Parts: sequence; C-alpha cells; structure tokens
Amino acid sequence: MHGGGGFLIPYLLMLLLEGIPLFCMELAIGQKMRLGSIGAWSSISPYLSGLGVASVITSLYLCLYYNVINAWSFWYLFHSFQSVLLWAECPVNSNRTGFVEECAVASPTQFFFYRETLNISSSMEETGGGLHMGQALCLVLAWVIVYLFIVRGVKSTGVVVYFTATFPYVVLIIYLIRGVTLHGAWNGVKYMFTPKLEQLANPQTWINAATQIFFSLGLGFGSLIAFSSYNHHHNDFEKQAIAVSLINSGTSIFASVVTFAIYGFKATFNYESCLERNRLLLLNTFDLSEETISVENVTAWISQLNSTHPDTFSTITDKIQDCSLEAELDTAVEGTGLAFIVYSEAIKNMPVPQLWSVLYFLMLLLLGMGSMLGNVTAIITPLADIKVLSRTLSNETINGLVCLLCLLLGLGFTSPSGNYWFTIFNEYAATLSLLFIVFIEVISVCYVYGLKRFEKDIEDMLGHRPHWYLKLMWALVSPLLLLCLFIFYIINYIQGGAPTYQAWDKHMGKSVVKEYPIYGQVFIALLLVSSLSCVPIAALYAFCRRKTRSAVREEHSNTNTAE
Amino acid sequence: MRVKVQMPSGEMITGFLLTIILLSPVVAQDLCKESKDGFKVRISLKTALGNDAYEWNESEKFLFRSTLAYAMRKKTGEDTYNIENILVCNDTKRVSFIFVVTLPADPTQLIPKEEVERAVRQSKHRINNAFLLSDMTLEFVGVPPTLAVPIQYNTPPWLIVFGVVIGIVAVGIVALLMSTVSKRRRAKAKDAGFDQDGDDEGIVKENGTALSGLNKKDGVYNQAFSNDERFTKL
Repeated sequence: MHGGGGFLIPYLLMLLLEGIPLFCMELAIGQKMRLGSIGAWSSISPYLSGLGVASVITSLYLCLYYNVINAWSFWYLFHSFQSVLLWAECPVNSNRTGFVEECAVASPTQFFFYRETLNISSSMEETGGGLHMGQALCLVLAWVIVYLFIVRGVKSTGVVVYFTATFPYVVLIIYLIRGVTLHGAWNGVKYMFTPKLEQLANPQTWINAATQIFFSLGLGFGSLIAFSSYNHHHNDFEKQAIAVSLINSGTSIFASVVTFAIYGFKATFNYESCLERNRLLLLNTFDLSEETISVENVTAWISQLNSTHPDTFSTITDKIQDCSLEAELDTAVEGTGLAFIVYSEAIKNMPVPQLWSVLYFLMLLLLGMGSMLGNVTAIITPLADIKVLSRTLSNETINGLVCLLCLLLGLGFTSPSGNYWFTIFNEYAATLSLLFIVFIEVISVCYVYGLKRFEKDIEDMLGHRPHWYLKLMWALVSPLLLLCLFIFYIINYIQGGAPTYQAWDKHMGKSVVKEYPIYGQVFIALLLVSSLSCVPIAALYAFCRRKTRSAVREEHSNTNTAE
Repeated sequence: MRVKVQMPSGEMITGFLLTIILLSPVVAQDLCKESKDGFKVRISLKTALGNDAYEWNESEKFLFRSTLAYAMRKKTGEDTYNIENILVCNDTKRVSFIFVVTLPADPTQLIPKEEVERAVRQSKHRINNAFLLSDMTLEFVGVPPTLAVPIQYNTPPWLIVFGVVIGIVAVGIVALLMSTVSKRRRAKAKDAGFDQDGDDEGIVKENGTALSGLNKKDGVYNQAFSNDERFTKL
C-alpha cells in the first residue's frame, strides 16, 4: 500500500476513468461475440487473435502462482486448530535453555512464515532441497477444490460463487466490529485516511492503482469475456457493470478499513512493547523502583537519566531502541507474505485467537478461490472453443488436464527457493501485460472495430445507446491514460537498474535486498516478452496467411480465366 | 611464689559471645558482597501482578531464603540446609538483591556458583510459584530459564484436518463425475430409443460447453443474419 490512505485517491480515480468503462466494454464484447477471448478478438479482426492469446497466457501465469497463496491459506487454516497457535510462541531449542536462534532474532510470526511454512533458502541461487511436503499437499488440495468447482463447467461455478461472494462479507463485518474495539485500532484508520501527497507525485503509485483495479475487476484476463459469453443476448450489462465495479471497490475499501484497524492494533502493540522493553532496561540498569517509570514517561526519563548519569547510561545506549508509532505503521506492506505475517501477529494477541484465525483464513480462502475460478475459466473457455480439442476429449477431461498441468508446474513454488520465483511471477507476470492488453483492447474496439459499430451492437443488445461518459472514456481518456502509464512503467524499468528482491536472512532475522541472478533476470524478460509478443506475432501470422490465401485465390482465378 | 590465675568471668564470656554474634552478620555480609559466587536476583512485582502486587518486605525475603534452602536440599539430597545458609545483601528499590549460599558444615565457605545454578534451574518452577511470578519477572541474572517442553503430538493436528477436508472434496468430485457419466448414459439410451429425433442429439457447442445445461427456448443466435460484416476489411 503506497502511502496508506493516499492510495485511495488514485484508486478511486482509476476506478472511474478506467475500471468502469473497460469493465462495461469487456462485458459487451463477450455478450455480443459469445465466444471466449481468443474467438471474440479474432471475430473483431483476424489480426487481433494474439490479444486473446496474450490474455490466456497471462491468465495461465496467474493461475500458476495464485493458487500457491491459497495453499498458504490452507496451511495456516489447518494450523489454527491447536490450543497454542504455532506462530504465537517460538519453539524451544534442544537443551531447553532458550528459543531457537532464528526465531529469537526475528519474531515468532516471521519465523513461522519463513521457516515452517516456506522453509525458505537464503537466496535464489540455492536450488535443491526437495519440496516442502506440507505445502505440496496444501497445493494439491487447492487444485482439487478448484477442479471440483469447475468440473461441470460454468453452470456449477455460478452456484458456488453465491457462497464464495457472500461469506467474506460476513467475516469482514465480524472483523470490523472486533477490529474497531481493539486498542490502537484508531491509529491505523487515521493513518489510512491521511493522504501522503508526495506519494501522489510518484507515477509508480498510479501504475499500482491501475493494476490493482484491473486485478480486482478481472480486466484484461479474458475471464470477463468468458463469463459474459454465457449471458443472455439482451442482458443489461451496463447497469451490471456499474453495480459490480462499485460494489467491488466498495468492498475493497471496506476491507482496507478493517485491515488498517488491525494494522493499527499491531503497530500500537509493537510500539508499546518497544517502550516496555526500554522501561525495563532503564529500571534494571539504574535499579529504580518499578513505580518510578511508567510506559508513558519512558522517553522523558531516557533524556533525564542521560543527563544525570551519563557514564552509566553510555553502557546501554546501543540497547535503547527508537520507538516510533509512525515507523511501525510505515513498515511497508510489501509482498503477499506480509499479509500473512501482519495478520497472524495481530490475531495472536487477540483473545480466543483460534476463532479469529479460522475466520480470517477461511475468508482469505474463499476470496482466493473465487479469483481462481475466474482465472481458470478464462483458460478453459477458449480451450473448449477449439473444435479439435472439444471433439476428442470431454469437458471434464480438458478441465482436469488443465488443473493437473498447473498443479505440476506450481509444485516448483514449494521448493526452498520457490518463494523467490513466486515473487517474480507476482511482480512481473501480470502488471505490464495487463496494461498493454487493456490498451490494445480499447484501441481495437474504438478504432479498428469502429466506435459507431460498437454503439450499434450495444443498442441492439440493450435497446439504447451507451451513455456519453462511456463513449468519451473509450475513445479518448482511457487509451491516453493507459499509454502514459505504459510508458512510465517502461521508463521506470529501464531506469531502475537490475531488478532486486527481498531475501530472508536467517542469521539476522530480517529481509535483505539482493539482485536477481542472471537467469532470474532473463526469466523476467521472458515472462514479459512472452505475453506481449503474442499480439504482434499473431498479427504477422494472420498477415502472412492472408497474403498466401490471396495469392492462392489469384492463381485460382487465373487458372479459371485461362480455362 | 603464688600466681593469681584469673578465671573468665561471666561478663567476659557474655562480651565475647556478643562480639561473635554481632560480628557474624558483618562477616556474613562480607561473604555476600565480595563473593563471586553470588547471584543477582531481580523481581518485578508490579509488572507481574499489577494491582494485586504484594509488598516486598522482610517476610518475603524470609520466604525467598527458605525457598532457596529448599532448592539446595532438593538438589543435594541432604537435609542440612537451613535458612541461615542463605545470605542476602545489596537490596535496592528495584527489588533486586544478591544472595550466596554457605556450606551448612562451615558457614564461612560458599557453595560454588555452578552448583547453585543447577539447584535453581531444577526447582525454578516451584520457586516461581511460591511467589506467583514467572521466569520473566523473577530473574536470576546469569541463569538461563528452563522452558517447558512444548506439547508433542503423535500426528500433527493439521494433518488430521487436512485429511478430513481432502476426503470430503474427493467424495464430491467422484459423486459429480459419476452423475455426469450416468446422465450421459441415460441420454444415449434415450436417443437410441427415439431415433427419429436424431437431431436433438447434436449438442451445439457454441460456447465450448454443452448448451444442454442452458435453456434453449430463445433459440440459437444465428449470426448469418446480422447486418454487419464479421470480418473488418483492412
């Protein structure tokens, strides 16, 4: 989250300028063409079939790594059924004199995540070490459940989504009530709503807001086109688009409020623990009675004792920690792992932690599973459109094969260095390609297919022309904005030098920044190029085919006239 | 010549005894303060008990000394340790002090540090409970705490929950697949019976999935009759 509350402004702007218009557009395309993403874009123009392929490839990458997050949620969920949560206390070392060293240096929640859950290696180069069996099992379970939901096709998906969509609201409300009654929650919520203006000037914030909107609405993945292709021809998608995007973003903001409340609780708890440690240090060094220093006047006492007894104070200067609530709130929420660490830390300090833990991870699972359904549908719908496949294999077999393939590839993420590969996918697989795909989508609908023709189609489906706001966005604002963001991203990437990642150092108990090895950087480039290049390659292929076909036709007509 | 031998009088004996008695705590204090075999103890009553904290006074110190004597007895197995063998000094307002343990046989000699440490570690739990404190709030500086062994399970509980969930899911999948297979078999049998309606068998794969699940009452949208051209002329 970039600057906490400051993120709200780019988020809402992106929703209005990009989210709603593009959502509407994708629904319209799917409903009109009644084909998956590859078929739909081929129908608009044969040169654009690459766009559908790019969407499918991006969805494939997303499927591969997203289910690993669900596997983690399962792992945490299953471990919540214990009297003492494993991430609440450090494990004891072999001669029972203290805690395991790695855990003592870091915190129990970080230890549980990095060591017990991931068994992470200290850098990406350290390959080998087999798979983490628990993780692999949870990943298998995640894929089996996805298969259960999609085995009959979209019909069964539709029913399931009713539950997966409503249960998270129930949990969020429960958490909201629990969250705002926690001590220090208000600090977090206040932090969320204070915008940081210098973050707004950073184009990276806007890029992240755009990709966040695309991600949460499912734009550019082809899943919207896939889903709406099953719609009734005269379905009123315009109202649905607006309703769904507003509800979706409203939910995101609601969830952020809850998250920040819990975050504020965690930050306040850590801040007060830091003060308490300082207080104890002062009491022990100067042998003062316990009532003299309280948590509130620790800082005052520090300065006082520094001036009155400088020599004794100098012995503990390096041990006195700087406690700051702002710093705690600022500890950047980077990477998906931190969502697990932050929340598990907050949960372990609540009363009856097992209940809260189960509720939270169940909610995470449902949200994650819901997203997975959309992603997998985006892959299997175009696959089923291919006549060759659908004639030889039944629906269930195709779905099963897709799930199996993704599972086998995804097992690579459960190896010790797997989390670093996961970070590559998380950061690079979807961001640039989404921007590019959505940009080409808007351009092709407005200028290749023709805005007038599109308007007529919508009138045919809905009975009225689209609203002027949508037309303005489609034709002008969205493409321009996307182009700007796309250029900013490329400039940022080139200027940023070698890409880096956060590696977990087990001796220091914190993350250190390391550069990706050569093969890592090559892989990143491959990821980006593989989805982006589909569009020009497919266009070139279509061009060549046309030329050969027209050459064949000319020959044919020549021979005919000759006869 | 006669020499007068003076027998020690009652006052002299009393005076002598008194000096010894008065000196011994001084001697004892010296043993405690200057010794390297002593342990510093820190007690945080307010942190542990809050408002229920009792006051640290002479009686509490008495309890402490007797608890330590108990610890020494338990460790060595000898019943000779008494409260006089535990010496306490350097009291501060923090509620911290230093103690040493003397040999029961010879009060001028101290028990070495390692033995005292072993005795304390063995009975730490009992000592903590005597004062309603914990390892954090009753600190013996330099003695590492003995942590409780975490609960060991034969099968980790998460594996049990995992087994249950995956069992349910597997049953669900098998059930769904069986129902699909049996539906297809029934459909095939029906078509074999009513062969005139052979066309009905053709499952129109327009969206890639069988349309038989959807209602066909509004027919199939035939794009051959739409006005616009399917392929944009470039």
